[in-house]
Amino acid sequence: MSTPHVDRHGGSFASDVWVTFVRWTIKSVRNPFVLVVSLVQPIIFLVLFTQVFGGVATSALEGISYETYLVPAIVIQVALVAAATSGIGLVNDIENGMFEKTLVSPMNRSAVFLGKTLAEIVRIVVQVVIVLVLGVLLGAEIATGVVGAVAIVGICVLFSIWFTAFSNVLAVVTRDEESTIIGANLLQLPLLFVSSAFLPLPALPEWIRTVATVNPITYGVDAARAVMLGEDTMTIIEITRFDGMWNTLVPALAVLSGLALVFGSVAVYAIGRAASADVR
Amino acid sequence: MTDYAIEARDVAVTYADGTRAVRGVDLLVERGEFVGFLGPNGAGKTTMIKTLVTLLRPTGGSVTVNGFDTVADPRSVRATVGYMAQETSVDPELTARENLRFACDAYGVARSRRDDRIAELLELVELTDVADKVADDFSGGMKKRLDAATALVHRPPLVFLDEPTTGLDPAARNRLWAYFRRINDEGTTVFLTTQYLEEADQLCDRLSVIQNGAVVAEGTPDELKRRVGGEILAVELADTDESEQAVSIAREEGLFADGAVIEPSESGIAVTARDARARGTDLLVALRDAGIGVVGFDVRAPTLDDVFLAVTGEPDGNASRAEHEREPTDDIRSGPVGAGGHDSSGADERTGNGVDR
Repeated sequence: MSTPHVDRHGGSFASDVWVTFVRWTIKSVRNPFVLVVSLVQPIIFLVLFTQVFGGVATSALEGISYETYLVPAIVIQVALVAAATSGIGLVNDIENGMFEKTLVSPMNRSAVFLGKTLAEIVRIVVQVVIVLVLGVLLGAEIATGVVGAVAIVGICVLFSIWFTAFSNVLAVVTRDEESTIIGANLLQLPLLFVSSAFLPLPALPEWIRTVATVNPITYGVDAARAVMLGEDTMTIIEITRFDGMWNTLVPALAVLSGLALVFGSVAVYAIGRAASADVR
Repeated sequence: MTDYAIEARDVAVTYADGTRAVRGVDLLVERGEFVGFLGPNGAGKTTMIKTLVTLLRPTGGSVTVNGFDTVADPRSVRATVGYMAQETSVDPELTARENLRFACDAYGVARSRRDDRIAELLELVELTDVADKVADDFSGGMKKRLDAATALVHRPPLVFLDEPTTGLDPAARNRLWAYFRRINDEGTTVFLTTQYLEEADQLCDRLSVIQNGAVVAEGTPDELKRRVGGEILAVELADTDESEQAVSIAREEGLFADGAVIEPSESGIAVTARDARARGTDLLVALRDAGIGVVGFDVRAPTLDDVFLAVTGEPDGNASRAEHEREPTDDIRSGPVGAGGHDSSGADERTGNGVDR
């Protein structure tokens, strides 16, 4: 007798990515509730903050409207909230057995991870675009134009990676949907406030400035804001080697890439461990 | 190349916390066989099946599945087996058809054949009518059937079923049994774990009884039942003082096949014999002719407990169960463990079906 053989068509890395991407995209399209809910809080922030603080804040800003100042923070918040739901998807998959089902299939595991992440990135892009459009309608101005808008979307995607990874680590550690949601949400608000998101750092107390220096949000918001305004916006690290907004973008993107790499590696390790279970 | 679908030698699995879930199990399964692992909760059945499908790495021994080493070449193993986990595994947000399409794509079923294959499987598990409804709306039995279908998309030559009918009602269980028999008739090798002797009896050509991570008995279902001695006939007497006399009558009349065990019991007499059911009425007639009052009787098939009693001399390893209670599924999911709390005594109810008249 010969070794049993099952014809496996496709089976390439790319097709495994695609198969997983399709599954997660169907799920998020079928469940628009998640998409809407994760947009609600940032949009409320955008509308309320500009109405409540707009008058006061604009006087603290030099020649730009608070709408323009705030939109970069809100798009980063959108990315943060969307990234937090990534872990929830993983917990659900673990609970309904699909995680194991995937592990026992011949699909490439890295491809599966990538396919799910791509589906989440598409969702983040859609949400960020919605908020950008809304912001412009409310009076925000993107100094760098359409190219700048695309760049802001890209910055949000890069920014989302570390928090996506973080929420996936929470998911495999807690294996519980509620803990994953609470864990991610608990961090989200303080992180936003203790950063350059809502007000210029020089206007904030010394300790917040210190914390903001090690807060990833600061780097995401500063990068998005630099593109929004077309100028150097970073105050925590003063770099003058480059030109204008690049003095913000270069260090910010470097920090975000580093974070993505570190958190991503931890997540891949944690998920890999969960996949092989606790055998000695 | 090997002729065995499964060739496992001296397999051991020890968890990080020191639990020795599987200790030195040998398993040889030929192509086309329907083989089962029978054992109580925590015996090591799920650990063994997860090791065979590459979800766990053995900590000792070697495992070859379909000719591929599970550690050296896990992807070839995965591509050539189907696996149905103990807890139903379907994506609740996808429809039945989408779940099957995902499985087809995951296992690389050719696009040109995919739709036909999906239609065929929906037909097989009788879900054609609800193919485009999301699985979340399905009953437990329907989800199980869909799960079974997703394990078969690529026509694997070997299928693993981990307690496939635990927690299902008898009608759903019987339907699943019919599918499993059919795929085995078509040449698929099937490896199943179960806590129910009746399930093993209905489906398996060959059985291993597993307890505390080790195989304690092997044979065909009939051989194992023979070790119990057949079915158990309990006769309840109006006057238990007449038990001894009733036992003598049952023995003297030569009513039962050789090897029958006839003993007085608390409420009358108990007969364990291969032909206990067939000859039961003869005994009742003989007792009546002798003027002994009978107030009730019951014939039941041997249960897992009876097999354990016969094989090991102890009920079912309950005393040592606690340390092995941990299900490996805890490692990768935190959801409710389906019927994990099920006790093997559930088998009594099942095998008793239709007997107590």
